[in-house]
Amino acid sequence: MTHARSTTAKATTPRGGVRRRTAAAALALTGLAGVLTACGPGEAAEGGPVTLTYWMWDSAQLPAYQACATEFEAAHPDIRINIEQYGWGDYWTQLTARMVAENAPDVFVDHTQQFGKFVEYDQLLDLDPLVERDDVDLDIYQDGLVSLWEGPESGRYALPKDWDTEGLFYNSTMLADAGYTAEDLDSLEWNPTDGGTFEAFLARMTVDANGVRGDEEGFDPEDVAVYGMGYGEAGAGYGQVQWSPFALSNNWVYSDEHPWSTSFNYGDPEFIETIRWYRSLIEKGYMPPFAVATSGIGGTDALANGAYATLVEGSWNARNVIEREGVELQVAPTPIGPSGERASVINGLGDSIWAGTPNPEEAWLWVKHLASPECQLSVADAATVFPASLDATDRAIDAFTAIGINAEAFSVHIEDGTTVPSPVVDQWSQLTTIMQPAMDRIFSFGADPDSLVDAGEQVNRLWE
Amino acid sequence: MTTTLDPGATPAPTEASPTGPIDPQRRRRRVRPGKVLGWICMIALLLITLFPFYWMLRTALSTNALLASQADNLLPAGFTLDGFRRVFGLVTLEDSLAQGGAGGRINFWLYLRNSVIVATSITVGQVFFSAMAAYAFARLRWPGRNTVFAVFLSALMVPGIFTAIPNFVLIKELGLLNTFPGLVLPTLLMTPFAIFFLRQFFLGIPFELEEAAMLDGASRARTFLRIILPMSGAPITTLAVLTYIAAWNEYFWPLLVGQSENVRVLTVALGIFRSQTPQGSPDWSGLMAATLVAALPIVILFLALGKRIVNSIGFSGIK
Amino acid sequence: MATPVLTGRPRRPEPTSAPPRRRGVWRRTDLRTAMIFLIPATVGFVVFYLLPTIRGVYFSFTDYPVLAPPTWVGLDNYERLVNDPLFWNALVVTLYYVAINIIVQTVLAIGVAVLMQRLTRSILVRGAILLPYFIANVIVALVWFFMLDVQLGVVNVLLERFGMDPQAFFGNPALALPTIALINVWRHLGYTALLLFAGMQMISPQLYEAAALDGASPWRQFRSITMPLLRPVLALVLVVTVTGSFQIFDTVAVTTGGGPINATRVIYLYIYDLAFEQLDFGYASALSVVLFLILLVVALVQLRLLRAGESDEA
Repeated sequence: MTHARSTTAKATTPRGGVRRRTAAAALALTGLAGVLTACGPGEAAEGGPVTLTYWMWDSAQLPAYQACATEFEAAHPDIRINIEQYGWGDYWTQLTARMVAENAPDVFVDHTQQFGKFVEYDQLLDLDPLVERDDVDLDIYQDGLVSLWEGPESGRYALPKDWDTEGLFYNSTMLADAGYTAEDLDSLEWNPTDGGTFEAFLARMTVDANGVRGDEEGFDPEDVAVYGMGYGEAGAGYGQVQWSPFALSNNWVYSDEHPWSTSFNYGDPEFIETIRWYRSLIEKGYMPPFAVATSGIGGTDALANGAYATLVEGSWNARNVIEREGVELQVAPTPIGPSGERASVINGLGDSIWAGTPNPEEAWLWVKHLASPECQLSVADAATVFPASLDATDRAIDAFTAIGINAEAFSVHIEDGTTVPSPVVDQWSQLTTIMQPAMDRIFSFGADPDSLVDAGEQVNRLWE
Repeated sequence: MTTTLDPGATPAPTEASPTGPIDPQRRRRRVRPGKVLGWICMIALLLITLFPFYWMLRTALSTNALLASQADNLLPAGFTLDGFRRVFGLVTLEDSLAQGGAGGRINFWLYLRNSVIVATSITVGQVFFSAMAAYAFARLRWPGRNTVFAVFLSALMVPGIFTAIPNFVLIKELGLLNTFPGLVLPTLLMTPFAIFFLRQFFLGIPFELEEAAMLDGASRARTFLRIILPMSGAPITTLAVLTYIAAWNEYFWPLLVGQSENVRVLTVALGIFRSQTPQGSPDWSGLMAATLVAALPIVILFLALGKRIVNSIGFSGIK
Repeated sequence: MATPVLTGRPRRPEPTSAPPRRRGVWRRTDLRTAMIFLIPATVGFVVFYLLPTIRGVYFSFTDYPVLAPPTWVGLDNYERLVNDPLFWNALVVTLYYVAINIIVQTVLAIGVAVLMQRLTRSILVRGAILLPYFIANVIVALVWFFMLDVQLGVVNVLLERFGMDPQAFFGNPALALPTIALINVWRHLGYTALLLFAGMQMISPQLYEAAALDGASPWRQFRSITMPLLRPVLALVLVVTVTGSFQIFDTVAVTTGGGPINATRVIYLYIYDLAFEQLDFGYASALSVVLFLILLVVALVQLRLLRAGESDEA
């Protein structure tokens, strides 16, 4: 640090020299001061309160969980909760690096597509013994959420905290202009042959540059001003907010076993015909070309901007979408398919405990609190997500309704039992590596949907 | 084509000539078409360079909710200072979320201080120690010199993925997580680029000066401090500026090592503006405001030192 | 391994960088002094570069899932690499990216450096040119992503105002990679130009004056004086920018994530994905070793081409 002066160039004028010297001294001081004042991490003194670090990525949920933490600290004066939030892009990299350095957060929000690899390498605490010991009631949660977190052989690696399904977001103004009412949307049906009433609806909602609608004479699919439905990407092997509501309502499932499946159904005729129909909407001009759709900063922005009339999106984004200013947006349930029912992926987040935590008991207390009715109810009131417990779900629907969001579009799947659990596998990113380019090719008309047979076989070879 | 001209063979001029070879008499002559063309290129380039900054400012002064519906508005969409307010942590968490921002406590001045400490320490250490090494590689004669230099230079090609995790584990084992030493150590002593850069410039300094000093009995250290460093004002200043900016903008390493509030730097703190739910959309106006605010201190520093940098770029000569 | 010597000076009977032995002052070698001068840098080099690299090379011969200890598998990772179409695709994509990025950037930067030298001494111009470098890479990528959005981006808004069709810069496989390459040119142009400019400042003005008196045109001066004497710095700039360009990653991660159809899946993104997403650190290390070797070869070729590889007599 004291070398600061020597790196500055020689003085050319006396005045400059003096100023440069003071500057250099100041620099040296700040540098030095920095090193001197750098104290270590806030390690609690022996016998002091235990600090638990809790990680999450969704900033929208931060206030609700901060409130839970405040309640929890009041009940447990010897435990402090330190919530850290990182963006999704940094979250998993950071977590992995910190597990390697044995410095990971005590408790963190976990994702169904990510936790498999952590289980495989013994990074997560098995909660089963603790659940049994403390007699935690797992029946208070929505169907299917608890089993999402079961290990490949045995064990339980998170307690559920929330759930999400998909809905069809739409532009209310455009809907009225097209002569539809919100109630009409509840009964739309699609099929892979002629697209059904749903495709007719999309055609009506599509408007070309001359103001001609998709179902009118003289419509120009090459020059569209408003696409009937948008999408953000080809969806790889998941299609959660693209084609999943259609494929899953066409008697198709990702895999026959759940969870920890080792064989997927991407080569099934039901899937291929769904994708073929879905892609045909691009040709007809009701959906944007692949290059256009993937060249945007987001489908929700395009919806808000009036470039799309409708968009399949997840419940976690409901507030972000509907509260846009200067545009009237609302959400309806996804359409009924050939199976006679709607369908939606149900996914949920959970809270996991890192196996290396120095304070497993305290961490367990915190996870238990996060999954408890009281915390879940306060999360419900915040109306950002649907909490996992049954009674909190109802409360959340009320809270969403109170701010003008049609929450039933998401909960209808729960009521009708038309949810399909999100795939849980140990090699999700390898699967994505295969399925992403395969789907990209199909959507950009570089390959036929029949190529999914090969892609599906390639995927299934992952577990040979 | 080759030439036998050698900068080392000519005595150093005694005054800086930042504009290079244009002699003052010629400047008042008729306008030359080359010049006009040059200016046209320059202005076009400046426009392309600066327009995104205007756009950042326009977006920073916009309301998030209106950005999408007023995409074709070249002025701020729903003029507001809220983006900047969020950056400075002047908005409550709930309000921030309502504005389409992210949460996160922002203690702006503390993070600014931390960034200054980290970037300054790294610049001072790295430039000085690399200059020492470059001196050994460019001005001293010893067996194996070029082999050692080649080995050092090959560090430039080491993929970052090799070094990030082992260095992180090392810093943790040294107990330096969440400390300034932990943040600066990996780049404090050298970077292959800095050594390479300075060596290239040190090679061009005429030997006669050094010889004269040596004959006068000056030590190597003294020669280095009194002759080589002052003579290399331009490259050293340039390197210092570039190092400072690079250290200032470093994100991944401080994110891993400097989590706690008292050492968190601006880039890490402002990372929350990028954070988003999967498939959600970032807080654009906050992000742009944060970007401008984070860049502003170094831009100001650069402008404040600008004259000095200009004067030092070019031979400063020997008094 | 060959040892490049970057004297960067045209061959001449007595290169001044290596002082002739006949003078008394230079008789002994400076080994001891050199060792003392190299202590800090050597510590940094060994601890933060050399040891991690040796570890990484070791990992490339193992199956190492990061969160569990490595197990020795010999050359398995390298065999897999040779038969991995994703690796070859990544290599081609990366080379294409480097070609666009480096050619455009270097040509423009030389032009800008000359303009800065001949047209204006204004610190404002110099600062403005460098301005993009003040913004972190990831943010630059996000800003351009925002500006190039097909429906909302100001660039497309302006294109439409001038009666052109909006372009899907990131969604069109033919456009995505050049777009990303040019975004990085935008960020690094000032930086590269500044390095070259600093190099030009080291060239003695008398040379230009003499040439001007001989009636040499500015272009002729540029070809006969600037370019040859700029060679050591040009070598530096090229080696550094090419090395950096090969390791492009964050811009892609933020914008296209490797799509569409793997058109932008550059090698470093693939390595990163393998290491942090698939926890396959052994294979990621093997790819990194290959990348390292490629970069070494490329750097050597560059230094040779720039005739910066003369054997030194020291």
